[in-house]
Order: sequence, then structure tokens, then C-alpha cells
Amino acid sequence: MLVRFWGTRGSLPVAQHATAIQAKIVRALVAADGRKFADEAAARAFAETNLDFATYGAFGGGTSCVEIEGADDAFFVCDMGSGLREFGLDAFRRCAAGHARTYHVFMSHLHWDHIMGFPFFGPAFDPGATIVIHSGHSDAEAALRRQQEEISFPVPFDWLRAKIAFVTHDQDQPFTVAGVTVTLIRQAHSHESFGYRFERDGKVVIYSTDSEHKLENMDAEAAFEAFFADADLVICDTMYSLGDSVSLKQDWGHSSNIVAVDLCRAGGAKRLALFHHEPTYSDEDIARMHAETVRYEELVREDRPPLEVICAYDGLEVAI
Amino acid sequence: MDWTQQTSADRVIGRPVGRVDETTWERFAEHLIDVVRAAAAAGVPLVVDLAGLDYMSSRGLRALTMAKREAGETVAITLAAPNARMREILAISRYDKLFAVTDDVG
Repeated sequence: MLVRFWGTRGSLPVAQHATAIQAKIVRALVAADGRKFADEAAARAFAETNLDFATYGAFGGGTSCVEIEGADDAFFVCDMGSGLREFGLDAFRRCAAGHARTYHVFMSHLHWDHIMGFPFFGPAFDPGATIVIHSGHSDAEAALRRQQEEISFPVPFDWLRAKIAFVTHDQDQPFTVAGVTVTLIRQAHSHESFGYRFERDGKVVIYSTDSEHKLENMDAEAAFEAFFADADLVICDTMYSLGDSVSLKQDWGHSSNIVAVDLCRAGGAKRLALFHHEPTYSDEDIARMHAETVRYEELVREDRPPLEVICAYDGLEVAI
Repeated sequence: MDWTQQTSADRVIGRPVGRVDETTWERFAEHLIDVVRAAAAAGVPLVVDLAGLDYMSSRGLRALTMAKREAGETVAITLAAPNARMREILAISRYDKLFAVTDDVG
């Protein structure tokens, strides 16, 4: 399997201001320290080796959209945040090269930041495409139709040309789609959310976003430890610090980086991807949170196998 | 995780020893609630002496929040003498913004 992140930001799309780009350029020039580069390739080689990701890259601003490659003759996509638009464009390219025009979409929930990409999803206008929207919510269709009503958007849902189907699933009842076994778990979030476990050929990917692990319900975390068990990759909501999640942002429906580490450790997961980044965070803030999470894992590791902690960004690909 | 506590005229001190993780957090939480109630009954602040604690995972930290809620405005809670590892965990979790943290028990 291959996991490709198209949108990693929480709540609201983010666009960098000129000042943020200027700060990156200034840091890069200072790091170059007067060097001369023969060509762009030489400059790129220097940057890749010497600059941190927050300077040479960017975590991106698309809201939740994650592709999982590895199903039989179908695209798999988790959530339809604003990152879905770029996925749709790339899917057209791959379909032109022969990929099947079948899309299975797995919805964590129906909040705006997780559905806002759908009106801009090119394949929805392709009469040869089939789109199956899997959800734990029975009102998924209503949510997608409502956001394309005239008061919000000029193109009504009924004008879409693809064959679109909605399937509602129960928690804890695994089902198989295009060769991949899928299981849902109910999560604490406003109007509920669902996490997904994808399994194929002994490989496991977990998608668990917009999931609050509440202080008064820590006993319930055993279910998540079991859900994360032996996962090769856990994509986890790590929007806040633990301190924020139990104080100012309690009941906002999100989790913290260190709870994610603890759940993954207890479940024996191999790799954690920090996800659903706080929209007010700069690239430096996210990089700092990543470094702190890596350090926390080291501090509590004891004699257990290391948990690799990576930080998702728009465009990241992770081979499983 | 072991626990002892000591009451004096001007404070109650709780002393966890060992580690607080997914296997021990419930005992830690129970002791914390008990010691908060003892401090409230005595009308004195609570010091949680962390000197004997190896580390605390997120469940232990959240047990501290439960204790803080139990304490309300009645009992002031101070986290004292964390080792270097605990001090880092308190900073990473931002719990050093939620609790008073001191270098020693005083």
C-alpha cells in the first residue's frame, strides 16, 4: 500500500502570506552564508541537505484528504476536504493512463472541512466515473446535497454526471471493498465521527481524525488501542497539546500529540502520522510540535520497540 | 507505582513513586482524588512530590487534571521536584502552563 496525503490541515484551509514565504527565503539565504551555486540543481542539493522542512518546505493548507493506494482497480480516499480538488486532478491524469474510474470514499464525518472539496471534485462530473461514499453516518447524502444547494454553490448535486452511491456501515462489522478489509470505530466528536482500519496482505493503515479522547472516558481507550493494534501506519488527529485539549479546547472534538503516541504504543503500532494540523499554526509551530512528539516518544519508550513519528504534509507519500 | 502521603499543619504532600502509565494510572488517580479531599478537609494546599516518579504518560497527566477539577478553587495544587524527564513531559504537554511547578518540595 501507499498512503498519499492531499490535505492535512484541520478545520479550515490555510494559505501562506507573503511574509511567511519571505521569512523562509531569508532563513535560506542566511544558511547559504554567501555560497555561490553553479545552477539550480546545486542550489537544490544544498537546500535539501542543509535546510529544515519548515524553511525548504511547507506543511500545506488543504483540509483532510488522504489517498490509500493498493485496492483492486479503484481509488481509495479518506475524507473530502479541500485537498480533494488536487486529488481529483491527479486522478484524471492517472485515469488517462488507464486507471479504473472507480472511487471509494470513506468519510470520518460530515463537518464542512471534511466535505468542502466535493463541489470541486472533477471526477464527479465524469459520466464514466463511479463514486461510492462509505460512511458511518446515515445523513452523508443529505450533507453533500445541502452544500451544493443554490444559496451555497451554483452547481446542484443533481447536475453531477458520475454514478454516485452512498453506503452506511455499522461499527465493528468489517466489510471488504476492492480487496481491502475495512472496519469502523465510533469516535467522540460533535455529530460523531468514525475511524477506519484498512487491512490488506498483512498491512494495516488506520485513519482516525476528529476524535477526542475524553478525560472522563479514559477506560474507553482500550478499544482504540485494540483498533490500532499492530498497525503499520496510524494517521491520527493531533491538533492540540494535551494541556489545551483538557482545558480551553475541551469538548472541541480533537486529540493531542501525546495521547496519540500513548495509544499507538499500547497498540503496538509501528508508525504514527501527526495529522489535522491546527490552522493557526505556522510551519515552524508544526515542526516544533513534531519535534516535541518525537521527544515524548523517546521519553516514555522504555524497553518497547520505537514508534516512528512522522508529520503529515500535503504531498507526503508513505510506502507501507 | 507506590504512593505515600503526609499531612502537616500547612499542607498535604502526596508522593507517587515509580511510573504512571496505562497500567497504573487508575491507582494514581484514586490516590490523587483522596489526597485532594484530605487537603480540602484540612483547608491546606496540596503538593504532589514528583521526586520519586520516573515518568508519567498522558493518562497520568489527565489524572492530574481530574484532581485539579476535584480541587476546584478550594485546594491549590503544586507539582514539586520533577526529574528532568518529567519536566520535559510537563513542558511538551503544556501542563507546566496548567499547574504550578517548583524545583523542590520546599
